Amino acid sequence: MADSNSSALEMRRITKSFAGNTVLADVDLTAHGGEVLALVGENGAGKSTLMKILAGVHRPDSGEVLIDSRKVRFTRPADALAAGIAMIYQELSLAPHLSVAENIFLGREPLKFSRIGYIDRRKLNERAKNLLDQYRFKINPRERAGRLSAADRQLVEITRAIVEAKSVIVMDEPTSSLTTHEVGELFQLIRHLKERGLAIIYISHRLEELSEIADRLIILRDGRVVFTGAWGEIDTNQIIRHMAGRELKEIFPRRNSRIGEVKLRVNNLSRPPKFEGVSFEARAGEVVGLAGLAGAGRTEVVESIFGVQPPKTGEIELDGRNIAFSPPSWSVLNGLALLTEDRKRTGLCLNLSMATNITLANVHALKRGWRVRRKIETNAARRYIQQLNIKPSSPGQIIGRFSGGNQQKSLLARWLFAHSRVFLLDEPTRGVDVAARAEIYREINDLAESGAAIVMVSSDLPELLGMADRILVMRRGKLVAELNARETSQEEILKYAAVEDQ
Amino acid sequence: MQDWIKRLLPFISLIVLSALIPVCEYTILGNDPKFLTPGNLAAIARQTAVITIMAMGMTMVMVSGGIDLSVGSIVGLSGVLGAMSMTHGAPALAGFLICLLAGAAAGLLNGAATTTLKIPAFIVTLGAMGIYRGLALYISDGNAVVGLPESAGYLAEMNFFGFVPLLLLIVLVIAVVVHFLLSSTQLGRYCYAMGSNLEAARYAGISVSRYQILYYIILGALSGLAGAIDTSRTVTGQPNAGEGYELNVIAAVVIGGGSLSGGQGSVIGTIIGSLIMGVLANGGNLLQISPFIQRIVIGSVIVLAVTFDEFQRRRVERLRTQT
Repeated sequence: MADSNSSALEMRRITKSFAGNTVLADVDLTAHGGEVLALVGENGAGKSTLMKILAGVHRPDSGEVLIDSRKVRFTRPADALAAGIAMIYQELSLAPHLSVAENIFLGREPLKFSRIGYIDRRKLNERAKNLLDQYRFKINPRERAGRLSAADRQLVEITRAIVEAKSVIVMDEPTSSLTTHEVGELFQLIRHLKERGLAIIYISHRLEELSEIADRLIILRDGRVVFTGAWGEIDTNQIIRHMAGRELKEIFPRRNSRIGEVKLRVNNLSRPPKFEGVSFEARAGEVVGLAGLAGAGRTEVVESIFGVQPPKTGEIELDGRNIAFSPPSWSVLNGLALLTEDRKRTGLCLNLSMATNITLANVHALKRGWRVRRKIETNAARRYIQQLNIKPSSPGQIIGRFSGGNQQKSLLARWLFAHSRVFLLDEPTRGVDVAARAEIYREINDLAESGAAIVMVSSDLPELLGMADRILVMRRGKLVAELNARETSQEEILKYAAVEDQ
Repeated sequence: MQDWIKRLLPFISLIVLSALIPVCEYTILGNDPKFLTPGNLAAIARQTAVITIMAMGMTMVMVSGGIDLSVGSIVGLSGVLGAMSMTHGAPALAGFLICLLAGAAAGLLNGAATTTLKIPAFIVTLGAMGIYRGLALYISDGNAVVGLPESAGYLAEMNFFGFVPLLLLIVLVIAVVVHFLLSSTQLGRYCYAMGSNLEAARYAGISVSRYQILYYIILGALSGLAGAIDTSRTVTGQPNAGEGYELNVIAAVVIGGGSLSGGQGSVIGTIIGSLIMGVLANGGNLLQISPFIQRIVIGSVIVLAVTFDEFQRRRVERLRTQT
């Protein structure tokens, strides 16, 4: 255990503004060696900016950064790295064409004839393998990074950061693409890093997760520190109140929906090797949860239903009509919606306006004759801005500048505008702050109450338990259990999702 | 820098150039400025018409995230086909129609190949560039197709009121139509969406292949029209016609604010881009600057335009990462 009295990192009275907007105001942050500091706050609270100042990406307008009580000034990211500060960004930043080992040691490759810069490939792979084994990550160091799953890429990223880190390691939503099992491994690793005396700053929206590893807590709201203290000093409700600036009585609001006729029936759907023999149905007014570890085939199933990746065999009935093997355009016309897992890659047109993004799946409704009428578009966008409380509230704003929660609400609005009646929601609240989550949950409930059928893929088990009527569990491409959400538990779901046949 | 400056920069450059050239003519050469005479302006319009027409279609393809390097070869191939049909007795108008159809067919092939083979458009059309040029040379045996009827010359030469070229009217009509398509129809809306994020467009239920092919067909048809105009201009079918046009066409789009990575570009910008290049060439001739130097200047302008666009993009990128 390192000397935990000396603080590894101190940020004092950090102030930063962009184009006249104060993003951070007099923020003090202290992280001690050998502890995990949880940094929470809604999207836009200033967490990322604060961490980018620490990483040397941005320079503060005023305030200072001290490492081991010595004042430092970073002008570029390399300075922060040299001072022993490593970051794991939310957006993955691996070079897809390089191998895992090459990525881990990028810029620090072991050399053989150092003068000519010949890389000792054997040593490189050996060292990478040792590291990965030590952390119990089952990843082949020779594999190309681009071929790894999102979860494995995240683990490689973490490994790389650990190699770089000497005093502070910052993890920004490190678990967003990890399965429960991998999260366990990561926490094991974090405990190990604590023992090595590193200070860990851990940013997350998942409070349940933080309670497992956090030692201290700092809450930001609108660029200011609103709470700092030991973890456990205040309870979850108080944390949420601090973050949102108001009480969120129930994150998961109640739903009074009447479950009606079958809207979507999937029969024996297969696309080997991703999934096989998947059958289920979703009724009007019902929320069906789809649980499982990453790679269990949940995303592939909903993508096949929607038609972006046609299934090999099987039937998909929408309102009694078979729609298997028809393209997404057909699904959309028939009232099927897919809110995708990766909104930047498959959801948003980032450099177009919010209004254009909202209306994209139903441009037809904007037409009068040949012309697309901007006025109809703007009015439609305004309606959803109001209904879903989207901010900023101007329909012409470029959507790339919105926070994750508001982007997600806009995408949900896209499917509302397309008059969808069956919603496939793949990780609908990933990277979304607490307040926006509550609004998305409320909208899902409204949809169910109005007779829509909802299939919700989520890795967030409390979310599934709070929202779903039934929970289907997938493991290795097969449906292995159907559970009543009122009667089951996280433990039971996990048992089916993770454990081979008992 | 503000967004409006980016949008207006090509326009401002054009105005400045148009003011600078007569001033230089007067001060350096001591001549009466010829640049702004109706005759010279009509000449610029005629000279830039072919590139502008093709650049309209290229704007559409590039906004949607594609590119077509074979447009110059399509000019040659369609011109030869049109000219041959005329030497076999077809009237001039029918010959020009054949140019248009041949161009559209070539565009259809380009679009179908990129979407079904799922190979980058850059590579597919690089290959197509060789194929169409080779076809043009093969069917004409490498020789100019001669013996066209006199009426074949009308398309390029006809004027209204003595000085308004027919070509200028054609350019204007096409510009208005393409502008309308891009700014206020479903086709244009999808064009920007696909260029911004092709996957997102597909996941939103847009039949992306169908639309992509359509954009290539329109560009092909406009290149065929350009082939007809070049045929009319020389009253021969030249298998080498249009060589190098692809670069000028793409340059016009880029100088006008179009992005090589898709999602950005406009008809008005492209027209100005094409005019800037036309005015540079015309002004260079008036000022007796070597045509070799002119090529260096135009090349530099292209690099500058892309650099400027890139800086803008990075600024937006930075904004995006500030949360």
